[in-house]
Amino acid sequence: MATILIVEDEVSINELIKRNLQSVGHTCISVFDGRAAIHELAQQEVDLVLLDIMLPEIDGYEVFQQIQGIPTIFLTARSNLSDKVKGLTLGADDYLVKPFEMLELLARVDAVLRRTKKESNNFKLDGIKIDFESRQVFLNEHPVECTPKEFDLLEVLVNNRNIALSRDRLLELAWGYDYVGDTRTVDVHIQKLRKKLDMESRIKTVYKMGYRLEV
Amino acid sequence: MKYRTFLTTLILFLLSFNLGIAIICVTTFKDMVHRAEEKSLDEHYFITSALLKDFHAVESRGIDIGNSLASLFQPYSYLSGDKKVKLALYKGDQLVYSNRQEIILPGSFLEPLGGGNRLVSIKKLDDRTYIMVSGQLPAPYDFYTMVYLYDTTDAITAWKQMKNMLFFAGFILSSLLALGLLLLLNRIFKPLSQISQISRNIAAGAYETRLPVSGHDELSEMAQSFNHMAEEIQRQIQQLATAAEQKQQFVDNLAHELRTPLTAIYGYAEYIQKIVRTEEDKLFATNYIMSESRRLQNIAYHLLDLATLRENKIERSSIRMGELVDGIEQSLSMKAAEQNIRIIYEYRFDTLFCNADLMHILLVNLIDNAMKACSPGGIIKLVADLEDGHKVISVQDNGKGMTEEHLIHITEAFYRVDSSRSRSGGGAGLGLTLCKQIAVNHEAELSFLSEPGRGTTAKLTFTS
Repeated sequence: MATILIVEDEVSINELIKRNLQSVGHTCISVFDGRAAIHELAQQEVDLVLLDIMLPEIDGYEVFQQIQGIPTIFLTARSNLSDKVKGLTLGADDYLVKPFEMLELLARVDAVLRRTKKESNNFKLDGIKIDFESRQVFLNEHPVECTPKEFDLLEVLVNNRNIALSRDRLLELAWGYDYVGDTRTVDVHIQKLRKKLDMESRIKTVYKMGYRLEV
Repeated sequence: MKYRTFLTTLILFLLSFNLGIAIICVTTFKDMVHRAEEKSLDEHYFITSALLKDFHAVESRGIDIGNSLASLFQPYSYLSGDKKVKLALYKGDQLVYSNRQEIILPGSFLEPLGGGNRLVSIKKLDDRTYIMVSGQLPAPYDFYTMVYLYDTTDAITAWKQMKNMLFFAGFILSSLLALGLLLLLNRIFKPLSQISQISRNIAAGAYETRLPVSGHDELSEMAQSFNHMAEEIQRQIQQLATAAEQKQQFVDNLAHELRTPLTAIYGYAEYIQKIVRTEEDKLFATNYIMSESRRLQNIAYHLLDLATLRENKIERSSIRMGELVDGIEQSLSMKAAEQNIRIIYEYRFDTLFCNADLMHILLVNLIDNAMKACSPGGIIKLVADLEDGHKVISVQDNGKGMTEEHLIHITEAFYRVDSSRSRSGGGAGLGLTLCKQIAVNHEAELSFLSEPGRGTTAKLTFTS
């Protein structure tokens, strides 16, 4: 997946973001101040920077101006409009206000990466291979027929792998907000995916929660 | 107000002025008429008495009076030379002589008055005004009535001209006065309109506007007090604005302080619910949840302490410095040893009138702050001494110090010298705010001196 630099001075939040991103397969580097961030960026290439605005030594805006070109999502506790506007006019790709839900962070990270990452988007697990561009699924090199909704659901599960998703959330992410169906639709589609792709052991039912694709 | 004053003054002036003119006119008129009447009476008397003598003389010569009237009146023709005087003689109701034919008198004037009485009256005939004196000749010629007419038209015309002149001059004078009055009133009322304009400006929020002050009269005095008022208002508004800003800052900071631990708590709870699969991860997350909750709790306690201190009067007693210092040493020695920091205690007075618990909190907080600023091997000095008769306790460190701009704000709630508000040093950001409040409750002054790289000195001066 992607290499993400987390610049956040709050150790607890930095750690939290790192663990969440790692669980969906990203590689994370944690730094706690602006100077370290610039130093780290000079050393290695990253796909995305999560940048807190209030940082020791050098603040987020200044760091951002020095690292121009790398996709960036600003994180901040300040939610007033002028801060948002300033962040976005500087050219940030997105803006997240604390407190935020991890699923939201992941969704935005995915969105920015989809926009900015050039390489083709593939996912491989056991004998399964998913090509997100052509929307094709292969099991042991043999193409598997999937309905569009099944593919959408699979995509959501893969993008949020290792994270338990409630049926409501799955419905919202795969079918969209305006879908008025029953949550049992999700169960039916999950069963179909499990059967078609031989994922009984991978797509776990989480008690009283929903489903999780474990990798 | 201005126009009312203007109108009242103008009307009063016009009334008295025109009344004066009218009185003058009437008096002159009366005087003139009176003089004309006197003159007419005199002449009438003169002519009558002369005629009487002439009649006697004519009659004694045996000549009929009726035929010689023309020659008898001859000497008085000079009177009518300027055509101002007319004479007429009636015998009974019959006009027997007139030096001017055109006069026809109504019969009623010829009523015999008798007893030598004469009638004076003003008559208007054919656009001309006459003073008429009529009277009978004394007996035995009392069947003759002598009428003397004096034409006063010219005098009256002159009087009328004078009257018109006077009123015309009065009108011009009044206009001039009205103009002058208006200018004067404008000048007088100008400061008033200025004040109302500026008051409106101030009310609209332009608190820096002032009245121009000139001269040393009542108006300038008023302007000065008005300006003073405006200054006070500006100052108080400024104070309110500053207070509101500080409060807003406090709320913003509090929101931020609460938001960060909340983000972590929520995030880790979500992490446990959705991602955690091993006991180890769960323990890791719960640890964070607990420490962040404790941070929230800390903030809550500190805020509560602050609120209580602000509300309540504290109880104070004489505390021995030895006890106070021992207590502080006990709570800090472990931490100081851990960080390899040396704390030196010196005191040169024995007792301090204070609340022991609060003073303990205050000094521990100050030393704790000093310890955060110090690197390992640092030295902190607590000195209690007398300065100008006041008890002073100072806490001096040789740590990293801070700049002037930070010093002003360090007692503000949640203010952190590091703008990132990094909590690497721990604490809720309310320590010095609490210290300041305790100092205020002890009627003491808390001041700070610092130099970047050289260290900071906190000084607590007891003023009571």
